[in-house]
Amino acid sequence: MTDSELDKFGIFKKSDAPRDNSIGIVIGGSLSKGLDVRLDFGDVEHGVPAGKIIEDMAVGKYVVIGGKSKKFFAIVTDISLDSNNPDLPKAPPDPDDTFTADVYGSSIAFGRLQVSPMLLMDEESKEPRPVKTIPAHFSKVYEATPQDVNLVFGQEDASHWHIGSPLDMEGVKVNLDLKRFVERSSGVFGKSGTGKSFITRTILAGIIKAQSAVNLIFDMHNDYGWAVRDEHGREYKGLRQLFTSGVQVITLDPETSRHRGSKVDGTLQIGLDQIEPEDVEMLAGVFGLSDVQVGALYYLRRKLGKQWIAQLLDEHDTAAVDELEEAEKVQKGTLRAIQRKFEMFRPDRMGFIRNGMPPDDMVDYIFNALNRGTNIVLEFGVYGNTLAAYVLVANFLTRRIHAKYVDKKNKAAGQVGEEPKPLVITIEEAHKFLDPDIAQHTIFGNIARELRKYNVTLLIVDQRPSGIDDEVMSQIGTRVTCLLDNEADIKAVFSGVSGAGQLREVLARLDTQQQALILGHAVPMPVVVKTRDYDEKLYEAVVDSVGTSRKHAERKKAIDGEE
Amino acid sequence: MNEMNIGRLLRSATTGYVFGCSVPEPEVPHFGMFVKAPAQRGQSEVVGLIYNIAIEDDLFVRQMAATPNLSETYIQDQRANRQVPIEVSVLCVGYRNGGQYAHALPPQPPITLDWINTCADAEVRDFTQRHDYLQLILDAPDAPADELIVAALQRAVESRPPEDRERYRREAGRELAKLLSRDLPRLQRLLKRLAP
Ligand SMILES: Nc1ncnc2c1ncn2[C@@H]1O[C@H](COP(=O)(O)OP(=O)(O)OP(=O)(O)O)[C@@H](O)[C@H]1O
Ligand SMILES: [Mg+2]
Repeated sequence: MTDSELDKFGIFKKSDAPRDNSIGIVIGGSLSKGLDVRLDFGDVEHGVPAGKIIEDMAVGKYVVIGGKSKKFFAIVTDISLDSNNPDLPKAPPDPDDTFTADVYGSSIAFGRLQVSPMLLMDEESKEPRPVKTIPAHFSKVYEATPQDVNLVFGQEDASHWHIGSPLDMEGVKVNLDLKRFVERSSGVFGKSGTGKSFITRTILAGIIKAQSAVNLIFDMHNDYGWAVRDEHGREYKGLRQLFTSGVQVITLDPETSRHRGSKVDGTLQIGLDQIEPEDVEMLAGVFGLSDVQVGALYYLRRKLGKQWIAQLLDEHDTAAVDELEEAEKVQKGTLRAIQRKFEMFRPDRMGFIRNGMPPDDMVDYIFNALNRGTNIVLEFGVYGNTLAAYVLVANFLTRRIHAKYVDKKNKAAGQVGEEPKPLVITIEEAHKFLDPDIAQHTIFGNIARELRKYNVTLLIVDQRPSGIDDEVMSQIGTRVTCLLDNEADIKAVFSGVSGAGQLREVLARLDTQQQALILGHAVPMPVVVKTRDYDEKLYEAVVDSVGTSRKHAERKKAIDGEE
Repeated sequence: MNEMNIGRLLRSATTGYVFGCSVPEPEVPHFGMFVKAPAQRGQSEVVGLIYNIAIEDDLFVRQMAATPNLSETYIQDQRANRQVPIEVSVLCVGYRNGGQYAHALPPQPPITLDWINTCADAEVRDFTQRHDYLQLILDAPDAPADELIVAALQRAVESRPPEDRERYRREAGRELAKLLSRDLPRLQRLLKRLAP
């Protein structure tokens, strides 16, 4: 008879079974609502004082459930206190009676976890698979080890980019599958100051390094191109500095760029004659244009021709506009309202706008650069503070670049020419472009919805995801979410994600900086990470792989001497 | 404490037995003490806890109690040479078969006039390594269960070296909490008495 068999009869030898490292057992739950885990009692003798297991837990942590042949990976979504006796709250031990408190804490009072099972790994399958069932009653629950996490997130390699570490697991890498990340549109969300720009820059550096796509970045706050300073005055390298070749900065505001010491490779100017009603339509929200006024834009363009905006703005020669007004095709009020709002297109107010046509066709330039695999950061300088400018330029360029992509893709399908390189367009304040009122008929809404039909996807960065059209949100493949505390925003981030309800608590409890919940297409299961520090180590990781890296390494070797 | 003979069995049943002894020494027998009696012709040993000690009167005592000017010599003589023995009731809490203890009722009770022995420290230690016997005490219809538990556990603590005692107390407390989790006031009273 074995010891345990003897135990059944109350017969035993001297035995003091060592505690394994499990933290509890499954006592109930469901696939849709998550599992109920009863945490083990404390056990001072084995170094676990009463309550330690509970206090060491955190929402967002990983646990592994199960035995030898099948292992479930799950994420902790809630933690609570429970006891064997419902009267305990009414008859708690005297706080000074440490003996009783200790005994209670290791035999009557215990902790409970709500965990959401995500992946299943069994002996035959090499790769973890999504769960379709749940572990049986009383399965043991363990804290995930670094090995477990590595098994799920794989090794860092050419297309898997280290983006952070799980909670309390410094040194363990959570890797983003960049190929999958660029396959569908993605989003980075979070309140202001939570680290959206930093994590976006980290992701972009990964995409550029891995060359999984080319990037067109509408850099509203000058966060990506050249050096950025944080609130403590520390300086961080921009993408243009990390990748000496392969990234170009195009500026709308050469003067500010020069002041910042930013290296620029070109200046974008938009001619008034280039602007079409479709480019302006998206500004309806920003300008406060009514439907009637938007309709009038198209009419004006038809009647006045290419120079429609110039004519609307012309204070000296008002003949054409007066004529329209007299013919009463457009109401006087409408016309005046449009004129007033178009004031901001005057070249003396928006330095990047000029009369007529610009000297260079920057659309062509950018399209060609992208097709060579060169990433473009469009730096807005001071115009980043003017939402209308940002929306106008992003819309203007994206419409034209997208059209060229569609053309090129169609030609490639007809065996003329090659496939365009996958393109990721990064936009900030995305809800201004993807607002439910306009997302139906704007270029960004289209791109989000058509998936990667034309090899173009979005990377949207936003602090107010609730302002984004539902249908668009549900198309977002990978969501990287820093802290959000507005209910509507939290709800929006989870739209279209099955079983997301359980993760809400996780999201609402993130640290205010440098923590993110990542879920979706590019990760095998939702994960809470402390995002990777954006520092010298990251710079080195990037340099290692780019063309310049070998030279760099050789030079370094020459300086350092033999290893 | 070492093992010693303290009396002979008067009557027994599966759940307990009664043995008789003459004048009690100051130390033995006492309430909550672990004792053992042979059974099955020495194959097994029934372990019990003393839960009652009764000193009955007899004819002589009655007479003497009514006698004025009773001399000390008479009293001592009466005590040493009693007509009826002191009756000690024991609750069965387990048995030993070969080298192993079981916390269960014995297959056979001990037989009349068998010698009853106290358990030595080492035996108490071995027996109380597990706590399943506490359930038998709680279930006993006649014994004052809470008092007996406290006494037995104190004895179990004392049988251990000082460095082991704290751990043992805690383990025992935990076991009690498991058994009595439904009755918190009772548990709390017990734990208070068990606390160091
Ligand atoms: N990965 C990181 N490495 C180093 N510092 C970081 C990191 N993430 C965030 N920080 C710190 O947090 C601060 C805020 O981050 P960031 O500017 O990215 O926030 P944000 O969400 O983009 O804010 P806003 O909405 O105002 O644009 C940074 O200035 C930096 O100090
Ligand atoms: Mg930012």
